[in-house]
Amino acid sequence: MADLSSHAVSGGHPVDADKAPWRAKLVPWVFRAPLIFMVMFFAIPMAMTVVFSVFERTMFWMEPGFTLFSYENFFFSARLTNFLSSMKYSLISVVICFVLGFPIAVFVRKSIPQVAQHRVVLLFILPFMVSEIIRVFALRPVLQRNGLVNSTLMELGLIDEPITALLYSHTGVVIGEVLSFLPFIVFSGFLAMEAVPKYIFEVCDDLGVGPWRRFKDVILPLAAPGIFAGSVFIFVNGLGVALLPNILGGAGAVNAGLIATQAITALDFPLAMAVSAIMMATLLSLLWIGHKLFDLTKILTPLS
Amino acid sequence: MTYGTTDMTDNKAPAVEVRNLAKHYGDFVALKNVNVSIAAGEYFVLLGPSGGGKTTLLRTLGGFHKPTRGEILLHGRNVGHLPPDKRPTTMVFQAYALFPHMTVTQNVGYGLKVAGLSKARIAEKVDYALEQVGLTQFTHRKPHELSGGQQQRVQLARAIVLDRDILLLDEPLAALDAQLRKDMCLELKHLQEKVGITFIHVTHNQEEAMTVADRIALIANGDLVEYGRARDIYRAPQKSFTASFVGENNMLKGKVAQSNGASIVVDVAGAMLQVDKRDLDVSDGQEVTLSIRSECVSLDRANGSAAASDGLSMIGTYDESVYLGLTTSHLAHLPDGTEMVSRVIAGSDDTPPEAGAPVRLSWKPSDIRLHVE
Repeated sequence: MADLSSHAVSGGHPVDADKAPWRAKLVPWVFRAPLIFMVMFFAIPMAMTVVFSVFERTMFWMEPGFTLFSYENFFFSARLTNFLSSMKYSLISVVICFVLGFPIAVFVRKSIPQVAQHRVVLLFILPFMVSEIIRVFALRPVLQRNGLVNSTLMELGLIDEPITALLYSHTGVVIGEVLSFLPFIVFSGFLAMEAVPKYIFEVCDDLGVGPWRRFKDVILPLAAPGIFAGSVFIFVNGLGVALLPNILGGAGAVNAGLIATQAITALDFPLAMAVSAIMMATLLSLLWIGHKLFDLTKILTPLS
Repeated sequence: MTYGTTDMTDNKAPAVEVRNLAKHYGDFVALKNVNVSIAAGEYFVLLGPSGGGKTTLLRTLGGFHKPTRGEILLHGRNVGHLPPDKRPTTMVFQAYALFPHMTVTQNVGYGLKVAGLSKARIAEKVDYALEQVGLTQFTHRKPHELSGGQQQRVQLARAIVLDRDILLLDEPLAALDAQLRKDMCLELKHLQEKVGITFIHVTHNQEEAMTVADRIALIANGDLVEYGRARDIYRAPQKSFTASFVGENNMLKGKVAQSNGASIVVDVAGAMLQVDKRDLDVSDGQEVTLSIRSECVSLDRANGSAAASDGLSMIGTYDESVYLGLTTSHLAHLPDGTEMVSRVIAGSDDTPPEAGAPVRLSWKPSDIRLHVE
């Protein structure tokens, strides 16, 4: 702006006559550059994953061809069972995260003064300041045979034998998932509660709407798109993050991410690609179902 | 849910009786010591500047705030301990208070559904309420498909369908544009006459208050300043705050020069003005405020600079005129710098005095009022 006005004052000498078009040409690239980046490093690799999954396996890599061997290898082995059970336990994690996290989001919206709300929500980012590996690894001394939980329970006399199912099991993975993903349901719940109008809780007080009805009739329908988005995020991460079952899981307690990682370790690249493709398909169908049910575009629509 | 006239309620008692009500938020005093009584079937307006405590009073009546001190009697029954849904009150909010995922019918019927009424009974009552507010064609729309005025009508229907007999309105028209607000004001007034229940309406808009109110209470700085009929509040304000907030009053500060008799003399910037004492307690030398509505002040060119001596006029200096369509305001200032406004019906083609010219500002004896606080 300063430039323009000084031009006008000095009589509009075309000093920067060729500079301005150069700048103008640059502007669209501010938007094109990220698009190109995303196509090159996201869209193309995703498509390649599907293509590679039908390639022939060789000793150390793969060669072009068309075979469904990798899919057969996945669907007709223990891998499918493991994949399905990791879906089940991811779903359990989602439910636990929701039960623990959503009331926090509602509480922050309802009972914290508006100016402080965002700060309170930011507190949930603090755990992310610590590397995930360390965070997850720190669960081991808590959950293991002679760990914090077991020794406390034994000293209180509540149990005689240490509970071994806490670690290297599905339980351990679920605990790790809840720990890692709880903030996401708080964030998405907080955003989802934006769809709940300002005075609605007072209207409920006035009409005598009890807490359960309030949740079922008012909060849930309004916050559904946001809750669903948060839940899908947790579910997909529960399936895909190999780190959690790697550190906390054990026999049978693996997820799709770990199956793919193991396939890569075994140099079976087409299988790893097939597992990834199956995960992508799972995610896309989940989003499609969610969109049909709740119209996910509403997440970003402010109240009119 | 429906609030009968039987249990513990007294038909003769006023709809609302507030005694020594105070509300503190930590160190902040929202309401100091409010006493007011509102008759059943009355349209009562709480008028005042933002942050003055009027909404706090309304919400305390509705049970959304607990009073720090004092008591509230609704139809003679102390309700201090009751939650909003157990009181004979219901609230209409500014805006953003409808259930966005429910249709008009569902919004209006939800309270009845929660109360456990049968579907047929709900449908019947909802139809009746929607007819009262003139929304019968929009029953299947959702709130975002309605205009601001229609949304407020849905709120009204949702409130009156509950059959509670005190309706609390918290700045119900604040979110509407000026023209719509005027129309809705009259509709509110007519609705109240039709349903016959007590309306208590909070607003900071003077015109809105005057349109709907049977009586107006002025609330500022946590105090109930004064209350009375709209006409009296406008024409004969008791307190100087009322005079400065309602209408457009010229406020003159002065010292009492002579306090004997029914009419006293006040020294304002050197001019000796006569004013009715109104049985107020004044003594010589006391600082007082005088108010004169701007439409009661007439402004003429002063012939000569001779100070007026009739006690009903002052000499000032002309500043400018402001054309407002229906009226024109002439602005002048007194020797001590006090601004004076004289408002006349526009239409005169007389050229106003030039700026700096001496002018004579005069009024009738009944137009000037004394305030001692």
